[in-house]
Amino acid sequence: MRLMRIALAIIAIAVAGMGSPPARAMAARVLNVRDEGKLHFISSSGSEILDEGPGVGSVPGKVRVHFVYNGNPEVSASFTIYGHGGSISGKANARLSNPTSPRPSFRGAFTVTGGSGRYAHIHGTGELFGVFTRRGYALVVQTIGKLPY
Amino acid sequence: MSRAHTLTVALALCVCLPSTAQAATTATMSAAFAPDRLGANTTLSFNFQIAANERASDLLTGIDFRYPANLGIATSGLGVASCPVAELEAHGPSVCPPDSRMGSGSALVEIPIGPEIVRETAQLALIAGPSQDGYVQILISATGESPVAARIVLSTQLEPGDLQIAVPPIPSLPEAPYVALVRMHFTIGGNLTYYERVHGRNVAYRPVGIGLPRSCPRGGFPFASSFTFLDGGHADARTAVACPGR
Repeated sequence: MRLMRIALAIIAIAVAGMGSPPARAMAARVLNVRDEGKLHFISSSGSEILDEGPGVGSVPGKVRVHFVYNGNPEVSASFTIYGHGGSISGKANARLSNPTSPRPSFRGAFTVTGGSGRYAHIHGTGELFGVFTRRGYALVVQTIGKLPY
Repeated sequence: MSRAHTLTVALALCVCLPSTAQAATTATMSAAFAPDRLGANTTLSFNFQIAANERASDLLTGIDFRYPANLGIATSGLGVASCPVAELEAHGPSVCPPDSRMGSGSALVEIPIGPEIVRETAQLALIAGPSQDGYVQILISATGESPVAARIVLSTQLEPGDLQIAVPPIPSLPEAPYVALVRMHFTIGGNLTYYERVHGRNVAYRPVGIGLPRSCPRGGFPFASSFTFLDGGHADARTAVACPGR
């Protein structure tokens, strides 16, 4: 009898949900990001460096980052994460500390600017932390944020 | 093509345009990359010369050196250690960590001694100093031996597209006027040996150097300098390094 009541309640919720606009249902989803990318050098042009590598966490996949460091401790980057169900693109700004160390660290914020596939409607901001290896140009980047999609 | 030949070609392609704000003093400058190839890692050499019409040169108090902001100086891997200013001033660049060396050069100064103008060449070492506010601090150690034995340390901050160098009054002999800096040449990068710890051992390597962009602006890579003098005058100079090949 109890099982029957639960089944009826689920059906009632499902029927009620059929009338809702799809967009509202999509906006309710939130991607809880806590990811890390270990990236290696691909190419450079002057003060801009292109790195790629695997990302692990909530959106596992390939990460591609254009990193710009021109002497200003406010470094900037644009990134794309190629996950299994789609991609996420964004930009980031961070402040570099200890620039004359072999591996300066940085901390800042990122903004998601677009996505594709299951992340077509993703947006939001988050925090990022990282380390830049000055010899070899490797990057380790960690991101934290809640991104509606 | 040899490295020296490449540098010569790059210098030859330079267009040096002196200009003055004060009739008495002119400044010229040149810049060069070696190797001179788009997208390559390179060294940047910079020369300037101050010429005064009067017998003694004006006393230079500051240089504002402007370079293309997208040159990869900050990403050059140069200066992965820093040298304390006090140590550098007291003992010279030999006490600084090898990984703090960023380049070298020379400077020509004029010293009025009685009726004569005596010239002296000082050796320059470019050293990474302790960072201030996240910016790379470049210390320029100038050491002269004869006739005046002196060492001064100039300081500049690496900013996007800009190096501002304050030149303090340089004393010479007792009762004699200050030393006038009339020519300077320095190279960022070059034949440097750094060390890193690998499995507990120090392993030598060469820092890659300044990354040249893969594209070149129309008219070449522009450089400019403004020189200020103790009497309030100033002189400007500019140049461009012609677009190299790929």
